Amino acid sequence: MKEQNGNDGEQDDITVVLGVIGSDVHAIGNQILERALEENGIKPVNIGVMASQEEFVDAAIETDADAIWVSSLYGHGEIDCRGLREKLEERGIGDVIMYIGGNLVIGKKSWEEVEKLYLDMGFDRVYSSDTQPQEAIDDLREDLSAAGDVSGG
Amino acid sequence: MESLKNKFLPKEKFEEESKEVLSSWPTGAEVDREEAVEFHKNLPDDSCMVDKLTEADEAKKTLTQPRAGVALPDELIDLLGHLRTEGEADLLPVTIDSYTRQNQYEKAAQGIEESREEGRSLLNGFPAVNHGVEICRKVVEALDAPVQARHGTPDARLLAEITLAGGFTDFEGGGISYNIPYAKDVSLEKSLRDWQYVDRLVGFYQSQGVEINREPFGPLTGTLVPPAVSHSIAVLEGLLAAEQGVKHLTLGYGQNGNLVQDVAAVETLRVLARQFLDDEGYEDVSVTTVLHEWMGGFPQDEAKAFGVISWGASAAALANATKVIVKTPHEAEGIPSREANAAGLKTSNQIVSMLLDQSLEDSAGLEKEKDLIIREVEDILGRVKELGEGDWAAGTVRAFESGVLDVPFAPSRYNQSGILPARDNEGAVRYLEFGNLPLSADIQDFHEEKMKKRGEKEGRQPGFQMVTDDIYAIGKGRLTGRPRG
Repeated sequence: MKEQNGNDGEQDDITVVLGVIGSDVHAIGNQILERALEENGIKPVNIGVMASQEEFVDAAIETDADAIWVSSLYGHGEIDCRGLREKLEERGIGDVIMYIGGNLVIGKKSWEEVEKLYLDMGFDRVYSSDTQPQEAIDDLREDLSAAGDVSGG
Repeated sequence: MESLKNKFLPKEKFEEESKEVLSSWPTGAEVDREEAVEFHKNLPDDSCMVDKLTEADEAKKTLTQPRAGVALPDELIDLLGHLRTEGEADLLPVTIDSYTRQNQYEKAAQGIEESREEGRSLLNGFPAVNHGVEICRKVVEALDAPVQARHGTPDARLLAEITLAGGFTDFEGGGISYNIPYAKDVSLEKSLRDWQYVDRLVGFYQSQGVEINREPFGPLTGTLVPPAVSHSIAVLEGLLAAEQGVKHLTLGYGQNGNLVQDVAAVETLRVLARQFLDDEGYEDVSVTTVLHEWMGGFPQDEAKAFGVISWGASAAALANATKVIVKTPHEAEGIPSREANAAGLKTSNQIVSMLLDQSLEDSAGLEKEKDLIIREVEDILGRVKELGEGDWAAGTVRAFESGVLDVPFAPSRYNQSGILPARDNEGAVRYLEFGNLPLSADIQDFHEEKMKKRGEKEGRQPGFQMVTDDIYAIGKGRLTGRPRG
């Protein structure tokens, strides 16, 4: 494992809402991500599997989250994720950082196509299912420090 | 709700409930069971799953079956036809989409519509309830192999009515195996009760001379599930099905990757099921077995993926599993193309044929591993029966409440999630934490000793990091997740 990326084990008040969207019950990656966030001193707010768009938005507002991490493994992500960014905007948190990872489409599409599909939906970063949690955690710290939310490592 | 008991549902009660089930979505009105019995009796022999399985079991052959399903019927027929002719599949599936699995038929309807508009499937399976009985029959009649519904539906009553009236001859799932790994908030009492209905429906067809096979879902969460955990659940679901009149069971197990453990698991599954069914007076229920090729993360690289597939087919053949559920070289990317699916089938068929006459029977360690699994299952099921005061259904509910039955990594809040599995130094799946599993002290010592040995070899304490490493390992070309560097 990499070291904790300049964090020195200190809590720096980053909160991430994570969950598996739609009618998807894939629970394993979700449990691994939660542990990985904790171990990196980031507060996970895990809304678990089968989470609706509304649950993501509500959880993000209630916990004043810095980011939303959406997972989708079962292929319906395309239908499930449409309109999530707009919902965040309507509720006044349109600028929250939003990542997605998993098996994101049905059938074979090039990664560039998949990534574009989700970037166009308003996600800030898109990950394939074999991504190690640390990669997304490192990206999050970078994105947050670029946005000036955290003093940076 | 009346308290749950493992008792045959009387006819009047079953019929009354049918009215409610069949009126829950418009296509339910298409179900006419008496007419469906006639339809089944006029189907050609090669559509009958029980016949195919019995024949293979007697010949000690291992049959191949893929997973596959798309939103629209013509595309489904085309896909399954390809897997049969090009992939040489012995048995066919219809995998049901995830909206149907949660009884969200309106969303499935939206998926059908969008799939038509876009000219590609936006659903991860076939929404059989929305399509209805006639279209299911069209699918069955277009194919020359038996068709099974494969899904993940806690309440599958309507899906069973429609697919069985539609000519399917096999139905996957069970009140535990399609709840605990597939739902978050469905109570076990509810799902067990709903599956009594499904089994009772199969029992009805059976009583009319229509042979229908039932297959509890063996692999559960598909991730480091110890054999005794999945076996206990498979045997329980077999007992519950038998009480409702099911006569043909295929019990399943998900490959863990250590060959000796996997062969021991399939062999003991058959022995244990026979033992418990006979003890309860269900001697006339037949048992066949299925091994699911590796259910965890796959390598991206196709050649490496074929290696994983071959290893699964090898375990299935050496264990004499009646059938093997086949994976594909695109597994790492989600839902595969039909070509990739056929390629996985051909790889598996090749290995299964090559190992047809080989056996591991005298290998060192196999007998020990088999004894261990049998003792563990007897410990667990003995406690389940005590908790239910002799009733397996009530016992199951109480066993999950107390963690006597417990599935690793399951999403359901009706699961205690107290056990934590990891691989030992040889790659067999053991327990790091036992939760409340009622395993004998010497068995617990055995597992602890195994984990200690791995810890020493890797110079680290056994813990969650080991588990995470194990989960990612196959995708990175190894079975056991060793520390890097």
